[in-house]
Amino acid sequence: MNAMIEVKELTKQYNKAKVPAVDHIDFSVEKGEFFAFLGPNGAGKTTTISILTTTLSKTSGSVLIAGYDAEKEARRVREKVGIIFQEPSLDPQLSAEENIRFHACLYGMVSYRPTFRMMPAAYRNRVLELAEIVGIQDALFKPIKKLSGGMRRKLEIIRSLIHTPDVLFLDEPSSGLDAVSRRSLWEYIDASRRANGTTVFLTTHYIDEAELVDKVCIINKGKIGIAGPPEEMKENLLKRELVLDAEDRGKLISELSHMGLTPQIGKHLIVPTGSRSAQEIIAGIGSKLTVLNVTEPSLEDAYVEYLIQEGGVAA
Amino acid sequence: MSELILQRRESRVFRELNAVVTIAARDILLSFKSPGSLIMMMAMPIVMMGMLGGSLAQNMAGGLGFNFGQYMLTGMLVNMLFMVTVMGMTSLVEDHTTDFTQEMMISPVSRYSIVIGKILGSSFGAIVSMAGTLIVGLIMGITLNFGQLLMILVLSPLMCLSAGALAMIIIGSIKSSKMANIAVMIIVMPQMFLSGAIIPITQSSGILLVLNRMMPMTYCLDLVRAVVYAGTPEYDSVVLFNPILNCAAIIALTVGCLIIGTYFFARSERKK
Repeated sequence: MNAMIEVKELTKQYNKAKVPAVDHIDFSVEKGEFFAFLGPNGAGKTTTISILTTTLSKTSGSVLIAGYDAEKEARRVREKVGIIFQEPSLDPQLSAEENIRFHACLYGMVSYRPTFRMMPAAYRNRVLELAEIVGIQDALFKPIKKLSGGMRRKLEIIRSLIHTPDVLFLDEPSSGLDAVSRRSLWEYIDASRRANGTTVFLTTHYIDEAELVDKVCIINKGKIGIAGPPEEMKENLLKRELVLDAEDRGKLISELSHMGLTPQIGKHLIVPTGSRSAQEIIAGIGSKLTVLNVTEPSLEDAYVEYLIQEGGVAA
Repeated sequence: MSELILQRRESRVFRELNAVVTIAARDILLSFKSPGSLIMMMAMPIVMMGMLGGSLAQNMAGGLGFNFGQYMLTGMLVNMLFMVTVMGMTSLVEDHTTDFTQEMMISPVSRYSIVIGKILGSSFGAIVSMAGTLIVGLIMGITLNFGQLLMILVLSPLMCLSAGALAMIIIGSIKSSKMANIAVMIIVMPQMFLSGAIIPITQSSGILLVLNRMMPMTYCLDLVRAVVYAGTPEYDSVVLFNPILNCAAIIALTVGCLIIGTYFFARSERKK
C-alpha cells in the first residue's frame, strides 16, 4: 500500500455544535500525489486539515499519515508533516530568520544558537538559498511586523519546507497574495514537490490553483461529494460546447437539427457536443460560420455546477 | 532545487532538550527586544521590597525575635521568582492570540518540552527581578553573603519550575489576556500572603494552615531560609521543616502541577 494519507469514517462534532463539522468522510492520498480538498466556507476543510495535522482531536473514525495513527502516534505524524496554516502563525516580534531558526530547531534539524552567524553553515546556506528562491532575501533579517502579507506567506513556505516534510498541508496558502506572488509560490511548491517527492494536500478558494493537481475532492456540509482527477470531474459534471453563429442562422439551426443537435439560442448558438467531437460537428456544417468557439469547461465550472446540483452550500 | 537539505537529528533526547532550549531562548530574546519589560522587572522590587517590605519592617516587625530585614529579603527573593515566572507564563496566552501556539503544537516534540521551555524562558525575567530585589535590599542595608547568594541562585531554577508548573494549571487552559491577568493575581497573591514571604506563618492555624501547606512557595521559601539561616540561633524560629522534606514537597508538587497543567494545556488546544 502506498497511501500517505488514509482517512476512514472521520467525524468531528465540536462541543455544543448540533451537527458534525465533518461527517463520516473517507479518502486517501497516494505518496507524492498533489491533492486538492475543495469546498465552500464552513464545509469542513480546515477541520479536516487540523485533525490530519494532529492539532484537533477527532470524534470518531481513523486517520493514518505515512502509516502512523494521527491520534495514537501524533509525534510520529508531526515529524512527517509540514503545514501552512490558514491564519499566519509567525511570531511578529521576531525577525524572519529568527522565525525560521525557531522552527528548524524545534524540529531537531539543528542545535539552537543565539545568532544567525553562530548557526551551522548548512542551516545558513539553506536559509539563504530558500530566501533567494522565494525572493525575500532582503527581508530576512527584518522584523515580521515590517513584512507585507505576501512576504509573510513566502516566509511561512520556507519555514514549512525547511524540515523537508513527507506531506505538506497547505490551508489556503495563497489567500491575500497578489497574482505575481501566487505564481512564484506555486512554482516553488511545485519544484519542491518534484525534487523531494513531497505529497501535497491543498485547500484553496482559488479553484484555478487546483487545475494541475492529481486528484480533487469536494467537501460540502461536512460530507465528501465527489473525488477524482480534475479532468474526470469536468467530464462527469460538464459537457464541452460549441459556440457557433452564421450569416444564415436559420440554415445553421437546420443543419444542426439534422445531426440531432438542439442548440441553445442566444447571442450566438450554444451547441453541447454530446458524444460527438467538435471536428465531427463542424464537418457536417455547410453554412458560412461567423463565430466558432470550442469551450473547454474549467474545474471552477465543474465545482460550481456540483454545488448547484447539491442544492447550494453550507450556511 | 539544491541538495542543501538539513537532516533531522536521530537522538530523541537531543531533540527534546534542543526544543526546551529553543523555546526558552525565544522568550529570553523577546525580553531583550522589549527593554521596557526588563526595566519593569527591575523596578518591581522597589514596590515589593522597598515600599511594602520597608513599611512592614518599620511598623510591624517588633518583637519577632529575629531580624525581620533578612527574613523579608529571603521572602521577597523567592516571591519575585514566583511572581515574575507566573507573569511570564501569560505569554502562552499571547502566543495563542497570535496563533504562534500552533507552530509549537504542530512540532514533533513532547508537550512537556514546550511547557518546560516556556517556564525556563519566563524564569529569565524572574532572575532579573531577583537581582533587582538584591539591589533594593542592599540600599536598605540588608545583605546576604556570597555563599548564601550562590545557594539561592542554585535553587532558583527549581523554584521557577515550581512556579511555572503551578501557573500552568490555570493559565494553560486560558485563552484571553484579561482572564490571564486575573489568573496571575489568583495564583500570586495567596502565595505571597500565606506562604510566609513577608508575614511569618508559624502561628497559622485552621484553613490558613491547610492552605499554606498546599502551596509550593511555602516549601521553596522554607528551603531557602534553611540555607540562609543554617547555623544561626534564629534557625528554629524561622525554618518550619527539614530541608529534605522541603525538597520532597517541592518536587512532588512541581511534578504534580506540571502533569496536570500540561494535560490541560494540550487538551485545551486539541479538544474543541
